[in-house]
Amino acid sequence: MKKIININFHSRVIPIEESAYEILKQYIDSLRKYFANEPGRDEIISDIENRFSELFADRLKRDATCITDDDVNATIASMGRPEDFDQDEMTAESFTSAKDKTQSQSSSQQSQQSQTYTSVSSGRGRLYRNADDKLVGGVCSGLANYFGIDPVILRIVFVLLFGALFWVYILLWIVVPSQSLQSNVTKRLYRSADDKVIAGVCGGLSAYFNIDVWIPRVIFALPLILALISGTFHALWWNWDFGFAPRIISSSLGSTLFVSYIILWIALPVATSAAEKLEMRGERVDLNSIRNTVKEDMENLRSKAEKWGAEIKESAQQFGNRAKEFGQTASSQAKNFSAEAGPVYRRGSNGFIHIIGVLFKAFFLFVGSMIALGLFIALITLIFVGVGLMPLKNYLLDGFWENFYAWGTLLLLGIPVIALLTWVIRRLTRARSQSRLLGFTFGTLWTIGLICAICLAASIASDFKSYRIVPEDVAITQPLHDRMIVKVSEPSIRFNGVWWIHSNGNGWDINADSLKLSNVKIRVQKSEDSLYHVRKIRTSFGNNRRDAENRASNVLYISKYKDSVLDIGSGFTIDPNNKFRGQQVVIEIQVPEGKKILFDRSIIGKLNPLKVRFHNRRDWNDENDDDMDFDFGMDEYFDWETNVDYIMTKSGDLETTDKKTEDNQDNNGSSQKNSYRYNKGKDSIKTKSHNSPNEKNKQKEKAAEAIPAKEVKTDKESEHAFSPAFNLIELI
Amino acid sequence: MNIENTQSQMRKGILEFCILSIIKRGEAYPSDIVEEMKAANLNIFEGTLYPLLTRLKNADMLTYRWVESNSGPPRKYFSLTEKGDTFYKELESTWNELANAVNTLADKTTGLGEPENQ
Repeated sequence: MKKIININFHSRVIPIEESAYEILKQYIDSLRKYFANEPGRDEIISDIENRFSELFADRLKRDATCITDDDVNATIASMGRPEDFDQDEMTAESFTSAKDKTQSQSSSQQSQQSQTYTSVSSGRGRLYRNADDKLVGGVCSGLANYFGIDPVILRIVFVLLFGALFWVYILLWIVVPSQSLQSNVTKRLYRSADDKVIAGVCGGLSAYFNIDVWIPRVIFALPLILALISGTFHALWWNWDFGFAPRIISSSLGSTLFVSYIILWIALPVATSAAEKLEMRGERVDLNSIRNTVKEDMENLRSKAEKWGAEIKESAQQFGNRAKEFGQTASSQAKNFSAEAGPVYRRGSNGFIHIIGVLFKAFFLFVGSMIALGLFIALITLIFVGVGLMPLKNYLLDGFWENFYAWGTLLLLGIPVIALLTWVIRRLTRARSQSRLLGFTFGTLWTIGLICAICLAASIASDFKSYRIVPEDVAITQPLHDRMIVKVSEPSIRFNGVWWIHSNGNGWDINADSLKLSNVKIRVQKSEDSLYHVRKIRTSFGNNRRDAENRASNVLYISKYKDSVLDIGSGFTIDPNNKFRGQQVVIEIQVPEGKKILFDRSIIGKLNPLKVRFHNRRDWNDENDDDMDFDFGMDEYFDWETNVDYIMTKSGDLETTDKKTEDNQDNNGSSQKNSYRYNKGKDSIKTKSHNSPNEKNKQKEKAAEAIPAKEVKTDKESEHAFSPAFNLIELI
Repeated sequence: MNIENTQSQMRKGILEFCILSIIKRGEAYPSDIVEEMKAANLNIFEGTLYPLLTRLKNADMLTYRWVESNSGPPRKYFSLTEKGDTFYKELESTWNELANAVNTLADKTTGLGEPENQ
């Protein structure tokens, strides 16, 4: 079903199909061009039109209701097409711009053309700079004209050998005169204006070599894609040394092709006019082919216009959208056709600006794509990590809202990536955006994601508002020989979950129903009395005081005491209901003055206390001073040596048995010479006696030496003295 | 060398003469002219004819008048002017000379006469 229009054709009204009208119009236009320089042009055309009109009237009279495509074509066939006209050379080819070298008419053609072009060089005898087709100075173009090759090739050569040929170029620019040269190349390499994803380089290449357009695209893109994929893999698997392709393809070829794409972008002109498009494809530029090309363009334009019309009808309810869409497509079309051929482009304008413009465009494109790539990799990484640490989610997020916010945050990260992917796919498949809905949807979802992320952060932060300590006494018996040994017999906690996460994951383990942390501190204090005390202090954050206390109480931490050995667990367990809220366990050992403590080597590497700085926050309802007493500062850091006896001094510090103190006035056990050999499978304990170089302390030393001897003896006694009181020590 | 080129050159040479011959016989309308030439086995496009006619008219060889027709707008009918008549006579003698010459030469070469185009 075709649309019919009525035309007033030389005082006849002719109903004619719209498409047929187009054909007719084109024919008349081609006649106009053909007779461009004919003195009686208007009359001739008028006569021909009149004849058409007459024939159409006859046709209508016979049996047709309107003039169809076929009618028009038949009439044109009988009238004859311009190139079929038997004409003198005088008028026949006064307008073609390309020479066919085989034609012997070229010389006469040239002389005829001198009527129409102001200054025409008579061909290839002399070297000139081309005044018409110049990027910088027309040197390449003139040279190319002289040799009969495509100027782009020379341009590329000059760019590549920029250093060497720079002065050659300048020299030529100065010396060689400039003329308006006729292009004598029939097939030139252009960039395609219609078929472009980024800059039409591949489109032009495909037209020149007559290959499918995706072939050069793949060639340019493949090394880059390979490099990206292998880079992504490297990021995720640290020791993945597998390359998808030999290095030369992925890295060096990739960058070479990238650079060559840029060079082609700069060097190749865009084929905008019909003649240029024909040249790009290497077809003969004459009236016929020009007409055909123009026809194709018009068809494209018209079908696009029809599509626009349909789209507009669809969104007819939304006035705003309609206007916006029109403006958008019109401006994008305008951009396609004129932006690159705009004022900063060839045909007599400044080529330098063009080069710089292209470089900028390429740079921004590069940066943009790197950012997109970074986001993409981040998302992939997140997905992998997230899947592996899925159980962690249960421990972090409490309650419905937090879960909800977490999913919303995923949107925040995911949406930009999805949007970018969609845009890329759109560009590649040249799909036209049907509506603004997609953009709005993405934007809205992203905003929701952002809000969710903020809420999530706030919600989790509020769960850490309050901090409580739950102390608990651990029942122990007094150790024999006044020495307590602390060890950790449990294996250290490691995460051995999914294989792709290389965590130096020491100190934590997670699975579906428990989270284990080795956030355990050992604190040693001086005992108030002469007895050892051990306290297990569990701490946690929470939403409010009760909440924090709850969570703290629910921390599961095992400690055993037997025969002077305090065996503490390597970590505490949190169950899913209580979530991870910064829980921590402190083992507080109160050592009476003069008594010893030894840290077994098994502690090494198993406990990973965090340095928690908790600053006092004024809690309004807080009367209790208990929880102000936590300064986990540097002094909690476990920096004692293992397998070394320490003795509690009066001031509350621990001293090693073989270390000399300089600052301590108290002589009680400031340096021990002997210590017990405690047979429990230990290595030899350091029992050095050492000389103090310091004169001042010599007396102290002597005094101190006397004491240990006493102590040695008394220890044995005290052992018995103690044992009645605490009657469960067995000496092994 | 292209045979079509040569053939086309040959045609171009005699076109004007042929057209003038037709018009000499009486007033003619362009499509009539085309019909007559077709009848004489010399096919020509109407689009070739119009420019030629216009050129001849601009050179004062032809003149035309509008003839009203009952079906549609008026048509141009061409006829020879005096100058055109003289022009025609000169062309006629030129053609005769040429035809003789060619026939003589071609006869000697092939032994067959060239069909004569009227």
